[in-house]
Amino acid sequence: MLDFMDYVQTAFYRTSRWNLDNSYASLTTTSTNLLDFRIPSGIRLHVSSLSAPNFATSYTLGSRGVVDGSLSFLYTSLGLQVASRSSEVYLSSLVRGYRHLQELKQPEESHWRQLLEKGQHKDALLYGRLYLPSSTLEALYLRRISPSQLLRVNCVSDGNLPNGGSLLAVLQNDFGKYSTEYLYSSDSSLIGVRGLYNFGYDPRFPNFQPASRPPAHPWDHQNGRLSAGAEAYFSPLNKSGGISTGLRFTTLPIHTGFPYTMTLTINPLMGNLSSTYAVKAGSNLALCSRFDFNVYSYESEVVVGMELWHRKQPEPEVMWAAEKLRSGWARTDADVNGVLKARVDNHGKVGVLWECRAKELLLSLGAGVDLKKRDRMLGSVGIDISYSS
Amino acid sequence: MAFNFNWSPLIADTERVRDMLTNALNKSPKPPIIVDDIIVNELNLGSTPPELEILEIGDLAEDRFRGIFKMSYTGDAYLTLKTRVQANPLNTYLSTKPSFASPQPLAASSSLTIPIQITLSEFRLSGFVILVFSKQKGITIVFRNDPLEKLKVSSTFDSIPFVRDYLQKTIENQLRILFMEDLPAIIHRLSLRVFSPDYQTAENQEPKKTDEEKPIDPFASPAQQPIDGDDINSSFSLETPIETYASFSQKNLVRLAALSESQRTLSLFTPSIRDTVYRAWATAIQRDDISNGTSTPTRPITLSRLQSSMSHGALSSAASQVSGVGSEATRPSLASMATGSTSTVYTLGSGAQRSRPGKKRKHRIVNLRRDKTQEGASEVASVASSYDDSASRSISGSARSSVERTGTLQSTAPTSNEREGEITTPPRSPKKTVGFSSDGQGDEKVGHHEPQRSRPHTPKSRLEPGPSHDTDPTPRASTVLPEKPARRPAVNQLPRMQSFPSRSPSPELRRSSSSDIGRSASELRLQSLVAAFSEGSSGGILEQAWMQKMASEIARKVEQERSKQRPWRPLSEDGISESAEAPPAYVS
Repeated sequence: MLDFMDYVQTAFYRTSRWNLDNSYASLTTTSTNLLDFRIPSGIRLHVSSLSAPNFATSYTLGSRGVVDGSLSFLYTSLGLQVASRSSEVYLSSLVRGYRHLQELKQPEESHWRQLLEKGQHKDALLYGRLYLPSSTLEALYLRRISPSQLLRVNCVSDGNLPNGGSLLAVLQNDFGKYSTEYLYSSDSSLIGVRGLYNFGYDPRFPNFQPASRPPAHPWDHQNGRLSAGAEAYFSPLNKSGGISTGLRFTTLPIHTGFPYTMTLTINPLMGNLSSTYAVKAGSNLALCSRFDFNVYSYESEVVVGMELWHRKQPEPEVMWAAEKLRSGWARTDADVNGVLKARVDNHGKVGVLWECRAKELLLSLGAGVDLKKRDRMLGSVGIDISYSS
Repeated sequence: MAFNFNWSPLIADTERVRDMLTNALNKSPKPPIIVDDIIVNELNLGSTPPELEILEIGDLAEDRFRGIFKMSYTGDAYLTLKTRVQANPLNTYLSTKPSFASPQPLAASSSLTIPIQITLSEFRLSGFVILVFSKQKGITIVFRNDPLEKLKVSSTFDSIPFVRDYLQKTIENQLRILFMEDLPAIIHRLSLRVFSPDYQTAENQEPKKTDEEKPIDPFASPAQQPIDGDDINSSFSLETPIETYASFSQKNLVRLAALSESQRTLSLFTPSIRDTVYRAWATAIQRDDISNGTSTPTRPITLSRLQSSMSHGALSSAASQVSGVGSEATRPSLASMATGSTSTVYTLGSGAQRSRPGKKRKHRIVNLRRDKTQEGASEVASVASSYDDSASRSISGSARSSVERTGTLQSTAPTSNEREGEITTPPRSPKKTVGFSSDGQGDEKVGHHEPQRSRPHTPKSRLEPGPSHDTDPTPRASTVLPEKPARRPAVNQLPRMQSFPSRSPSPELRRSSSSDIGRSASELRLQSLVAAFSEGSSGGILEQAWMQKMASEIARKVEQERSKQRPWRPLSEDGISESAEAPPAYVS
């Protein structure tokens, strides 16, 4: 389940019309959501509020043996009109699951021109979080520089870190057809480049509609999108670096069958192959599997996960109407009771997460079990309780 | 002066050293690049011993040594480690950074773990070493400075400069920690195993001990108590194959055996040793002391007895040693030696801080007294003393038994069986101490037995409400209560050793008790003495040498003391402080 502050940030991206999915970093979002979900440990209470469209606060109190907590504040120059009460927030926007990719859109120059004419400045977001016992400070600065550019600066200040902290600056360019990212980390001067290219439909030339356009190449699937990307990092201080490339094919909403996503990422330096396959088997069920293999060390790993949305049964009077809804159609989210996520890997590690709404509260219960350890099977158990207004 | 360093025996024991090194290397938190346990695969100490230059010798004696060396090593030792490392530098790098400001690469940081074999060779060490050796505490080595000068790390990753440098740096740091902190511990533990006389004697006498252990060890066989009286005598002479008990570790067996045996042998010469034990265990036994005191008439007497017993113990051991030297026969010395060493061992093992200084002091006293009596000291003397003691003991024992008998007469029938046990006990005085040491287990039994003890003493004692009284659930307790405290000191330990099973007052028990009483204590002593002698014959050259050393040392000390009583004291004080300051920290 998304943190309230992450929820607000997501709202900021959406309101400022930034496509988070068009980036190499989010190539495997679906499988990450389904397989690498975070399991809470201990008890954690979140109290948050979006007191004004521009200002949000959040307090966290946790107990995992020791009591810790955090204070966070967020300011955005862009007024956010999102549901903030925990009783009203859609679970589907809080729980990250199978990711439906939308049609690519052209960066909207007209929208920006309007904004500039209105005298509004470029949208920015400031966010700070202070962890109390450890005195760690996190800061985030987001700024939409232009219709196709976003600047993100992450800072961490912690006395335990070398140099007292670290800073990461990311400049993202999203041109629809392709996107690039440039990173710089103050830690050992790590420099990084990421790029993603979408084959097929080019949103900059919207005249070629997907259905009418003849396929340019054999893998130009009309109902899906093939994307390829790569990333490279280099640290001049360490004289070390790393690269990886990836492929993704995902179906688009016009696809009539069940939606699915396939990715393949390769790390040629380290000989790592990772392939994922995720299927939205029904309106309430998504399945995902991932297979990792290293050609050098022959280490391998298989993870299987699923996500099950539990919805209230519609009223008998409207049952006939609900039955006529097609699986691909957008549904109202109001009838979601909760979401169950589970994963299991070949090392016998099982993770279960149940996220639901209970009256005014949002609950997230999770447990990690290690089947290989006979003496201590139950690894971590936890519950997150959040309330927001 | 010359030191003879034997380099080869250490090499033979690399198995154990490897295990210890493995433990030590995995103890401290490992750098993120190492993703698995570090296993010491191969260890070769090489053929070149380190060069040692003596800078200072602080203390030197047969059983202890303290000195400062300058050590330099340029040998051909090598060490091979096996572990698994993270080969992706990005993964290592990111794992130490906060996730909030990390670039979060998609797959560039995927892990690649590689089994790696690291060979450490070309050690160049030089530094100042403080070496403290004590026979009981083993060897303690402390490096005054960081001894690691140079080291060659060769690994699977030699072709990758970054990884190689990283490994070199990391391993050097780890090794520095090892040298400064872990190596002293390892050496100490090893030395305890290899060099400590306690361990050696324990190992040598293992078979007999295990044999004796069976009946006496209260854990192992509590029910065999009745045999105990005879057992003292028989056990020494008996030589039977080693027996191992599944439920007890060999070490514990040996320790217990050493303890029990020491007590027994001591008791041969000084039956009243139990009082000494009380004193040594002052805090634990305070109760008992008090109770001792409660027997009004004996209070001063007990005190004096304490003294005498101490001196007795010292005397007896010293005397026996001397006699061993004087006469060719090594027998008595063995027993006494074993007792002495083993007893010290035991205290060491138990780690009671209080006991150690006490022991030391006792030793000192021993030395002092010894010189006075030394000339005359001989087997005969010791025997005589033992005779005396035994005689007194027997008297007391008989008296007690009679008292008890009367007690039993007074007491109701059901209690009689317990009384029986008690009656049998007096002749077995030597074992009392043993039972005492095994205090913890005997507690419940104590509860049972107290009523009996108290009974005989009714007339004398004032009420001393010890904690043990409270435990007594029997109705008699109230009547008996006042009497209890008086007897406790003496009888206290006896019952613990024996587990009193539900023994009915059987005739044979009666008989045994009566026979015990009837049998003169001196006879017992004699027998045990003989047994001790026979056992002593097995003593090797080492013991002889040791005895001779002891004798000479004693003589020297006597002379010293006579010539100048003043300086001797401080000297001894120094010795005590030194020995105390020698860090036993690694006793495990």
